[in-house]
Amino acid sequence: MPSEGGYLLDRNITSTASVEDTRVPWYKKSQAQKWIFLTVVLGPAFACYFAFSLYPNILTAYYSFFRWDGIGPKIFIGLRNYAKMITDPFLYKALLNNLILASACPLLVIMISVILAYLLVTRRYKEAGFYKVLFFLPNVLSSVVVALLWTFIYNGQWGLLNKVLELIGIDMGGFYWLGSERTALLAIIPLYVWSGVGFYVIVFMNAINSIPPSLYESAILEGAGNMQRLFKITLPLISGVIRVGIIFMVLGSFKGFETILIMTNGGPYSSTNVIGLYMFNFAFSSTEIGGFNQHDFGYASTIGMFLFVVLVGANLIVNKFFKHEAVEF
Amino acid sequence: MKERRTVGDIFWRLMLFLWALGIILPMIWILYESLKTNREFYKDIWALPEQLQWNNYAKAWNYLGLGKGMLNTVYYVGCSLLFGVSFTALCAYALTRLQWKGKRLAWNLLMLSLLLPGINAIVPQYVIARLLHLTGKLSGLIFLNSAVLDIFSLMVVSGFMQTIPKELEESAFMDGASLFQVFRLIIVPLSMPGIVTISIFRFLALYNDFLGPYIYLSDKPEKYTIGVSMFMANQKMIYKSDWVSLFAGVIIAMVPTIIIYLIFQKTVTQGATLGAIKG
Repeated sequence: MPSEGGYLLDRNITSTASVEDTRVPWYKKSQAQKWIFLTVVLGPAFACYFAFSLYPNILTAYYSFFRWDGIGPKIFIGLRNYAKMITDPFLYKALLNNLILASACPLLVIMISVILAYLLVTRRYKEAGFYKVLFFLPNVLSSVVVALLWTFIYNGQWGLLNKVLELIGIDMGGFYWLGSERTALLAIIPLYVWSGVGFYVIVFMNAINSIPPSLYESAILEGAGNMQRLFKITLPLISGVIRVGIIFMVLGSFKGFETILIMTNGGPYSSTNVIGLYMFNFAFSSTEIGGFNQHDFGYASTIGMFLFVVLVGANLIVNKFFKHEAVEF
Repeated sequence: MKERRTVGDIFWRLMLFLWALGIILPMIWILYESLKTNREFYKDIWALPEQLQWNNYAKAWNYLGLGKGMLNTVYYVGCSLLFGVSFTALCAYALTRLQWKGKRLAWNLLMLSLLLPGINAIVPQYVIARLLHLTGKLSGLIFLNSAVLDIFSLMVVSGFMQTIPKELEESAFMDGASLFQVFRLIIVPLSMPGIVTISIFRFLALYNDFLGPYIYLSDKPEKYTIGVSMFMANQKMIYKSDWVSLFAGVIIAMVPTIIIYLIFQKTVTQGATLGAIKG
């Protein structure tokens, strides 16, 4: 315990050096505490971060040179996994499906959410507040719930879609939307749009709200119509946000495969297979895929490397395609 | 600024209404069908049930594994949330308020994970987890979800901690408070809004996660979380067409997140755009 005098001195004098002899100064004591705290907290944090975030990325590259069923011994096979990969028609099918999803979904989501956000912000209907809450609702549902909900909608026998079509006089004759090669992939797009729009409505509402109202006021005074205001003021001013949104969604559509795993597991005949799912099934699926042996961690890692390259490439392409134009206001 | 309502407005309002209907209709439909018998459901999906079949919910809970799944989920989400959020707050404190050499490097290392997609490395992640005996048990899943930092959460809490004035901390030290006391009594209360925000988002992410529990608990059906149980129940329907019970299960699985969303609606919609989009 410091003496009463030392305590007072400590509080009143900015330089604590003069009382160093009466007690251990607070900053020295805290110095020791600081290092204990840093070691105890950040030590494990960084250990886990390396073990589960950084190191697996390196291991993916390493495993890709082996044949390994995940349990037995690893057999070094050089580049043979890569040779198999570049001639794997199922992988190209998966890439094509990924490209279809990555171009259709972001486009639809952006178009719909910009329109909805613009209406909710500028038209100020009295139901706007309720809609904002409702539109976001699918974003808090789990992928299992969303996937099952849409599997039910597409059911041939009793699905909501066929029954609604029946009401308006179109008889699909019990057509299974997810069971046909022609429609399965297309049927997945509405699901992504349905569950993705709400988030971007919020994002674009925030962006539109941050545009100064004076811009709109002067435009109205000069006789600009609704459409002119949307295309000449709103869209240019939120183009930066749109660009980030597109990158986000394109990358997301390459990464995500949970929903497809639950709905179709890539079928029928690989018509909904995507790269991530193909990789996943090679490592973890218990069913045979494409005639290759299952539980091939080596080949799964090779596909993982391919996915990594695709993701980096997609990022670069989207960045180049949607040039960043900063708009000042 | 009030504007005149035009004919166009009727059209636009209709569009908004149709989108709202498209969001809500599938859920209302499932809720409606979950209260019928299988026979009524197969006969005509539009017809009203003769009697509300609340029994379907009991069947989903007891026979489709939802009850067990929900119990496992409460345990796994609760513990992951408690440990994970505390650990994130501690790390954020060490990475923002404390001055030490190498802090910049530490941040840069953490930011590196934002560039790595992550999903391409699920195979080695599983192998490492198996090596450390973290697979096939809920405690392993809890460990992975608490000890491996979620960078988004870390950034949100760090952002709040950075705004706390330095003087508060210093005067507490001078009064003899220990580092941990300062953290607990000053830093945590003052960054509470951030901690609440990440808790809500972690809750949603943990509760909704399917792939993690599916991979790490794969061969242990008694450990399945709600998402994996639902998935398995759906697979079973090929042999046993008890759809109305599965519908009841979907409603049960939806309820917790919808309740949390409705309570924290403002925090969720504001927080959703916090880290993700910055023009």
